[in-house]
Amino acid sequence: MPGPRPLSHKRHVGVVMAEQATTRVARLLGIMSFLSEHGTSTEDALAQHFGVSREQLHEDLVTLWVSGLPGHLPHQLIDFDGDALDKGIVRLTESQGVRQVRLSTLETVALVGALDAIAATASASDAAATARDKLVSALGNGDMVRSEAPHPADPAIAAVLRDAIERAVVVSISYVDAAHRRTERTIEPHHLVVIDGDTYVECYCQRAQDYRTFRVDRILSAQAGQQPITTPPGEDGGFSLNPRLQATVRARRSARWLFEALPGVHLSDDGTDVVATFGVADTAVIASQLLCVGPQLVSIQPEALAHEVARQANAVIAAQA
Amino acid sequence: MATEPAERLLNLIIALTNARVRMTRSQIRTAVPGYTQAPVGGSAADVKAADASFERMFERDKEQLRRLGVPLETVESAYGDEIGYTINPSAAVMPSISFTSEELAAIALAAQYWQGASIAADLEIGLTKVASVNSAPPRVPEGLRVRSTAMSENTRVIIEALSRRQAIRFDYTSESSGLATRTVAPWHLLLRGGAQYVVGFDFDKKARRTFRLHRIHGGVEVIVPEYICRLPSILPDQSDSSEPTGTARIALRDDAGHALRERGTVVATDGDWDVVELSWHHLDQLRDEVLSLAGRARVVEPADLRDEVASFARAAAAVAQASCGGGHG
Repeated sequence: MPGPRPLSHKRHVGVVMAEQATTRVARLLGIMSFLSEHGTSTEDALAQHFGVSREQLHEDLVTLWVSGLPGHLPHQLIDFDGDALDKGIVRLTESQGVRQVRLSTLETVALVGALDAIAATASASDAAATARDKLVSALGNGDMVRSEAPHPADPAIAAVLRDAIERAVVVSISYVDAAHRRTERTIEPHHLVVIDGDTYVECYCQRAQDYRTFRVDRILSAQAGQQPITTPPGEDGGFSLNPRLQATVRARRSARWLFEALPGVHLSDDGTDVVATFGVADTAVIASQLLCVGPQLVSIQPEALAHEVARQANAVIAAQA
Repeated sequence: MATEPAERLLNLIIALTNARVRMTRSQIRTAVPGYTQAPVGGSAADVKAADASFERMFERDKEQLRRLGVPLETVESAYGDEIGYTINPSAAVMPSISFTSEELAAIALAAQYWQGASIAADLEIGLTKVASVNSAPPRVPEGLRVRSTAMSENTRVIIEALSRRQAIRFDYTSESSGLATRTVAPWHLLLRGGAQYVVGFDFDKKARRTFRLHRIHGGVEVIVPEYICRLPSILPDQSDSSEPTGTARIALRDDAGHALRERGTVVATDGDWDVVELSWHHLDQLRDEVLSLAGRARVVEPADLRDEVASFARAAAAVAQASCGGGHG
C-alpha cells in the first residue's frame, strides 16, 4: 500500500501554528466527511471548499494520512490513493469511519439565534428561517435566543432590493425620512445592511446625486427598473453608517445604561453625572434615544445633535397636545 | 518527532470513538501519538515531570474536545479503578443536513452577526462543520451584510451559560431595586433591536425576571461547579405575570410605527392618524417607543402615559434648546 510520503511537510509551519488546534481538527474531520459523502475531489476544490490555501490543504491531507486507530499499523490508518494525489486528485480509500463531529451547543445556539434575528428583520429571503428550522430539527436548542425586530422590513420590498442588487439595476422608491417627508427617488442599490435589527439599503441616490443610506422599513414602495447601475459602491465595505460626528452628552447617573450601550463610547462619572463621548452615525437615531432619558439630560453637544433632539422633542409635545 | 496538537487531538477522537468499552488515561497515553511518555530508566523526578506534562496535555485536550462539541463520556469500571473515557459515535457525528445555496448564505451571514462577542473562532468551526456535509460551503452573499453593535463579552458568557445550562451572577441596576448582585438561571437571550436582554429565574426574587444587558455592571460570572439549570417544562410567555399590564391606545401617523401596529389592531382612524389598540407589559418600554417615533405617535390613553411622554419630551427640549443657545451645561 502507498504509505505517507515526505511531501511538502512543515513548509508552511508558521501558518499552521497560528491556527487554533480546534479550528484545524474541525477542518480535518470535515475533509473526511466531505470525501465520504461526495466522493473523489481535487486538492484545489477542497481548498476552496474549506477556504484555505492549497498548501494548507495539502498539509491537512498529509496529517490525515498518518492518522488512524491506536496501533497505527498500516491497515489502521486513513488512506488515500497516492498516485491520484500526485495529480492533485483526492481519493479516499480507507476512512476508518472518521467523520465530522456535530455542531457544539454553543455553535448551534449562536447560529440558530442569529438566523432567527435575521429572519425577524425580513431583510433576507425565507432562507434564514428555513435554515434555522433545519438546524433546530437536527440539533435542537431552538429556543435559547429569541429575536424581535422593532422595525422589520417589508419582505416584498426587501426582495425587490435584493434582486436589483443581484442584477445591478436601479430601483424607484417612495421613501419617508425621519422627519416624515415623503420623496420619490431613483436609487442604485449596492448593499442591504442589517444593523442592530434594522435594515438599511446603501445606494447611490440619483436625486441627491450622492451616496445615501435609507432605512428599508421607511420605504413605502419599490420597483426595479431596467437601467443598469453605473456608480460603484462606496468605499466603506458595506457599512456606510460610520460615525459622522463626535458627541458629548452629560446626564444624571441613572441614565448611564443608555450610554453603556453605544458602540465605542467613552464614559466618565463624577459621582453625580455621567459624561458620555461617542461617535454618531445617524443623528436622528441617537436623538430619539436621548428622548428616552429626557428628565436625566443635562447638556448635549454638538449643536447639530441638540437641534435634532429639540426638533424631535417638540414634535412629540405637539403630537400629544 | 513532535506531534502537533491538532494531530494529537484528531487521533484522540479516532481512538475514543473506536474504543470498545473505554480507554483509561494510561491507555490513552500510550496509544495516542503525541503525549509525553514516561522516560525509560529515568529518575523518579523525571517520571513525575513527565506524568505532570501528560496530565496537562490531556486536560487541555479534554477542554478542546468540549469546545469542539465532542461528547466525551466518562466510564467507571466495575472494580472502581481508574476512570475511563469514550466517545459515543452516534452522539458525536454531525448529522447530514442539506442546505440550499440561499440557506448556506444565510448561515454565513448568521456567523457574521456575532462579531464583537468573541465567539468568532467557534463560529468559524461551526461553518466548517456545515461545509463538511454540504456540496457547497457557506459564503456571505454579495450585497447583504449584518452587524450588531451591542455584542459584548457578557453576550458570549451568557450564550455559553445558556448552552451549558449554567446559572450566572452579575451586578445589576434596576429602576426599582437599585444596584444589587443578582443570581439567575438563564432561560433565553432576547435580542430586540440594539438591546439585549437575558430572561430567566431570579433566585433571590424567586420569580421570572428580565435583565437588560446594558444595565449589568462589570462582567457576568458563570457559577461553577456545574450548576445545571432545569428549564421549566412550559416556558412562560414573554410577559411577567407578576408585573402590571394594561391596554393602551396610540394614534399613529400614516405608515409610522410598524412595530406597534404589529402588536395591536387599528380600532379607528382620525384624519391622518390610525388609532391602534395594544396591550403592554412594560409601560416604560411603550413610552420609549412613542418617544422614538418623534411626533408620529400620540398617546390617546392611558393619560398617565401621555403625560409622561410629554414630560420626557419637555425635559429633553429644554436641555437641547439650552445646549443650542451656547449654553455650556
